[in-house]
Amino acid sequence: MNMKKISLSILSLGMLVFLAPVHSAKAQSPTDTLAPQVSTLRDKISGVEERLATAEADLAKLTKIKFSGYVQAQWQHFEAANVFPSNYLTIRRARFKLQYEPAKGVALVLQPDFEPGNFVVKEAYARLNETWMKTFSLWAGKFNRPNYEVEYSSSDLECLERSRVIKALYPGEYAIGAKLEVTPPRIPLKFQLAVFNGNDGQTIPDYNGTNQNSADNKDFDNYKDLMGRLTYAFKLGRWGGLTLGAHGYYGAVRATTDTLLKSDYTKDKVVKVGSALSRNWVGAEMQFYADILGGLVLKGEYIMGVNAFPGFNNTTSSTSFTSSVNATKDTVTQTFTTTKTTSIAPNIRKNFTGFYVYLVKNIGKRNQFAIRYESYDPNAKLGGGDLGVKAYKANSNTSTTTKNTIGAAGNVLVNKVVNSTVVNNALTSGTADLAYSQITLAWNYYFDDNIKISLAYEIPMNEKAGTAGKVMSGTYSAPGGTPTKLDYSNLIHQNILTLRLQAKF
Amino acid sequence: MKKSNTIKTIAGVILLAVITVSFMPAPKKITIKGSDTMVIIAQKWAEVYMKSHPEVTLQVTGGGSGTGISALINGATDICNASRPMKQSEIDKLKERFGSLGVEIRCAKDGITVYLNESNPLKELSIKQLGGIYTGKIKNWKEVGGPDEAIKLYGRENSSGTYVFFQENVVKGDYAASCQTLPGTSAVVNAVKNDKYGIGYGGAAYSKGVKHCLVKRDDKSPSYAPSAETIKNGTYPISRYLYMYVRNRPTGEMKNYIDWILGPEGQKLVVEQGYFPVK
Repeated sequence: MNMKKISLSILSLGMLVFLAPVHSAKAQSPTDTLAPQVSTLRDKISGVEERLATAEADLAKLTKIKFSGYVQAQWQHFEAANVFPSNYLTIRRARFKLQYEPAKGVALVLQPDFEPGNFVVKEAYARLNETWMKTFSLWAGKFNRPNYEVEYSSSDLECLERSRVIKALYPGEYAIGAKLEVTPPRIPLKFQLAVFNGNDGQTIPDYNGTNQNSADNKDFDNYKDLMGRLTYAFKLGRWGGLTLGAHGYYGAVRATTDTLLKSDYTKDKVVKVGSALSRNWVGAEMQFYADILGGLVLKGEYIMGVNAFPGFNNTTSSTSFTSSVNATKDTVTQTFTTTKTTSIAPNIRKNFTGFYVYLVKNIGKRNQFAIRYESYDPNAKLGGGDLGVKAYKANSNTSTTTKNTIGAAGNVLVNKVVNSTVVNNALTSGTADLAYSQITLAWNYYFDDNIKISLAYEIPMNEKAGTAGKVMSGTYSAPGGTPTKLDYSNLIHQNILTLRLQAKF
Repeated sequence: MKKSNTIKTIAGVILLAVITVSFMPAPKKITIKGSDTMVIIAQKWAEVYMKSHPEVTLQVTGGGSGTGISALINGATDICNASRPMKQSEIDKLKERFGSLGVEIRCAKDGITVYLNESNPLKELSIKQLGGIYTGKIKNWKEVGGPDEAIKLYGRENSSGTYVFFQENVVKGDYAASCQTLPGTSAVVNAVKNDKYGIGYGGAAYSKGVKHCLVKRDDKSPSYAPSAETIKNGTYPISRYLYMYVRNRPTGEMKNYIDWILGPEGQKLVVEQGYFPVK
């Protein structure tokens, strides 16, 4: 074998040894190159999935929080002569509601109300829903009193404001208490039983006439008020539905003086100061929905009962000083006179009646017309001729005591102290006993899901007083004008036009 | 003379055309919004109806039953499709806004199908087992006779009528936190198709590419697949009506359209799309 052949063989062998790994490397490269990439991608996807799971868990928490609210800005024009200014712009309501459901069956609600210069917590309650039969729920905090028009959202009111009787009986709509609600899932029945402090929204004077109702609405008389309401919804086949219901109020306020008057301002009895003055009423409600010409609603409520108003016991005193000199007797006489006046208003319970009726018609998807007729008589035992006439007046006491004090000898100084006490124990019927009826005409235009424009015209009609009650109160004067009293023996023109823009979310 | 007659004739024809066109009924637009379960059949209905009724425009969108009902209450839609009945609270809102209780129209029947991946050896589950799986109490397929693998849950968002119906009738509690929320039945089917150990639920019409799980009322009952027969005779345990809601009794074109849906042509399309006729 020559050297050339041996060299070639060695060279070939060497090339084989050298190239074989390269060849096998080239043969493995597609899988080996891809495998790390796949692994990297897999790791990235796992990472993304982990982050997604965390984000979804956080999002799940956020979906438990719900925000809603609305702002009502309006312009009003008052046609009554005693209102100044006669028209103005205002923010009627600006409310923001937060609802949080931390767990199934539990809800927390907070609704502050922002008004210019004022901030109040309108609603703040916790609600526990029973999850087994899904029938019972327990509420505690500040929430709507169980009444149809009270519970109707202020953003949905067809005539912009609630009726007079509801505003009088349930001022501020919301009250602090606890409530049990029964709403069986398959039965169109609703039962509500609530207990309240009973003083929310009211002005209740104490012995000195100071409003006992504090800003935080703490109970001040230890008398709790009970309220119950029951409704049932009937389906009227293809024509619509009818809901019938009733509610009752059983409460009391504390007597602040020892005299209780009846509704006609005659003395009922002597009561112990601090004892309960009961205030009870019942109401019946109806809502009829008819699928006639694209939807028609006829709804109303009638309430009657006895409301109670504590009296007050208010004492004021004033002191005056006079001095005189008697040169002949060389006497200086100083007279100090202190006059104490005690005014007492007795407690009174008044029989009242009130009702409202709405007729609401939707035209298409955007327009809604409503007309409401209402009547509220805060004292059903008195007629127009009794106003300003019916009164209670106890015997007034006037006593005078005089005391002389002799001063030092020489310059005789005489101090006279005179105390006079006048007690007025009286209450006269007046504008608080006036009955009112009212017609309200309203048009609502739903611009879209969130914006509503409303125009409403209120025509109140006062009960006409007799001649004696002709001018019971209400002295007014426009700037630069002559003070005048309102003449309640005639219908007082006090219509109101309201144009409102509401934004809701 | 001839020229003026021609001009008068042309003017008269134009005037007549203008008057005729102005008195022609404007194209009627009906909006339909709601259930994602129903969106395919709703689109089919609309497509076929518009072909024979060109004067009517039908606009169909999904979003879920809850979204559709909200749109009905706000006036944003004429017809709401829903795969669940309206809740009392929703009826109350409709009453307040429109003074109406709404009109419920049952337009089809559906069987909620439980989807399994085709390679999953499991064949049947009881309602109780499904509830346990979807509440997270049962976490592994081996607990229900399947392979020893973790169960991956797929479901719908809470605005879906299918979500609500399945929760009320099968889950009977809270969905497990690990249940992935997907927007639409197609997405659920797709997820299960690509996940060997996944489980999902949705309308019967969407279940292509996945296996139907047979469902039994309890451990002692036989299991059934959703079919026209089992849904009609009530043996399939998870069946439901599909609804259309309108604010008031339908009139005019809306009434014609709804009558058509409930008639033989509309119900034929229901069957073709994989649902079941209302009667």
